[in-house]
Amino acid sequence: MHLFLEQLLNGVAQGAIYALVTLGLTLVYGILRVLHVAHAAVYTVGAYLGLLVFNTTGSLALAFAGAMAGCALLGVLIERLVYFPLLKYPPYVPLIGSIAVMLSIEELLRLVAGPYILTFPAKLPFPALHVGGFQISPTLTAVYVITALVLLVLWFITGRTEVGLAMRAASQDMPVADAMGIDSHFVVSLTFVLGSAIAAVAGVLVGIYYNQVYPTMGSVPAYKTLAIIVVGGMGSVSGAVIASLLLGIAETLLIGYANIPLPRDALAFIAMIAVLMWRREGLMGSGR
Amino acid sequence: MLLEARDLHVAYGDIRAVSGVSFRVDRGELVSIIGANGAGKTSILGALMGIVPLARGTIVYDGDDITGLPAFRRARAGIRLVPERARVFPRLSVTENLMTGVYRQRKKVPLAERIAWLYELFPILAQRRDQPAATLSGGEQQQLAIARALISDPQLLLVDEVSMGLMPKLVDRVFELLEDLNRNHGLTILLVEQNALASLEISQRAYVLETGTCVAEGDTRDLRRDPRIRQVYLGSGTD
Repeated sequence: MHLFLEQLLNGVAQGAIYALVTLGLTLVYGILRVLHVAHAAVYTVGAYLGLLVFNTTGSLALAFAGAMAGCALLGVLIERLVYFPLLKYPPYVPLIGSIAVMLSIEELLRLVAGPYILTFPAKLPFPALHVGGFQISPTLTAVYVITALVLLVLWFITGRTEVGLAMRAASQDMPVADAMGIDSHFVVSLTFVLGSAIAAVAGVLVGIYYNQVYPTMGSVPAYKTLAIIVVGGMGSVSGAVIASLLLGIAETLLIGYANIPLPRDALAFIAMIAVLMWRREGLMGSGR
Repeated sequence: MLLEARDLHVAYGDIRAVSGVSFRVDRGELVSIIGANGAGKTSILGALMGIVPLARGTIVYDGDDITGLPAFRRARAGIRLVPERARVFPRLSVTENLMTGVYRQRKKVPLAERIAWLYELFPILAQRRDQPAATLSGGEQQQLAIARALISDPQLLLVDEVSMGLMPKLVDRVFELLEDLNRNHGLTILLVEQNALASLEISQRAYVLETGTCVAEGDTRDLRRDPRIRQVYLGSGTD
């Protein structure tokens, strides 16, 4: 029982991290209908920026802030310089552009930071939680609290502010949103700012969680998050969060208990294939 | 003159939807553009609003050349559109749909008053205010689209095929409402319609469109007497 609970808590943390990476992808797909594969590279850049700021200043708060600001800028640059000029072409064109950006950033990181695994020797300043004689480690607590905070802020912005209303309107019918006085290009850029800043949080968090930062750390998330948004329902934020948590838990339990000769990363794709066969709109999709 | 369009051309790839149409709308007028399906009416309204690219032509609104202005700036300058088939935001509630109409303008209009007035005009919207717009019937969505366009107190209302898909009883009500907004609230309206009979009845002037060009224009009284127009658009023979 004790082991099971421990695995479950680890799984939730893993799922929370998946959710943080996937949110940006979901938001971007929701508004632009572009599969923003390069988002995973933005996440990697977030980890590197966080590590750089942490090593220079010694402040974890500044590391998060710096990574978020840098990634927000990078996200907007990708949107303005790559996607915006390509949107008039069929969807596979921006997708190919996105893959190119992803590979370029990975190679650039390899050139600048070197093809090594760097360590991220930071301690997240969270207390260990004691629940009924059971201990939740500070790192897990940090992942839970930070993810909950990010989701809360995102919910507030999209659900309770005027610009959030504009984001939702533009994602449902962009020309009509424009005709209502909404500057949808600005709204799209804002979406990239939000998604990329959240990816930065995920990058720093993962760097600390596994104590590893390396150029290709975004490769597995790049395709796994694609599977997650298919399972959750393309463009659905709640679907992406639920699918992320389920996947994190399933993967962790699978490794902990089952002796199936199956790589853990395959699970996301089995789930994706199952969803495509039985429920094409995904868990929370609107069926569009 | 509130709006003047000169030599408008709209093309989708090789297909020319509008070729060289000119018209004007004076302040306080209700003007119709009538014509069969595919005559280019919706393209003209889209081009005026700025959501359909113009291949050639000039649009002057309130003394300013707005040809190069993006749609959201035209909206903030007081032009509002009731799109063809309503195009409400399906997953926003009725109230949220209305609020998109006053994006960044909430302080410029007496909002509570406007909402109360609109709910009085369209009581069904008040009943359904918290429902997603997708759950409304076609007629209710059309009413919501009109309310969404009116909430910001626009200077120029562009109305695209508002009668399409509505029950005849509702068509009458909507046309009565447009007439009332024009006569009693001083709202300038440009109406685009297949339903020539109903739209000519409430407008002062009209333009007749055929496959992207204007074939007739003038006072509605004269147009309604024109034998050719009677035959083609009003469904009655010459005597």
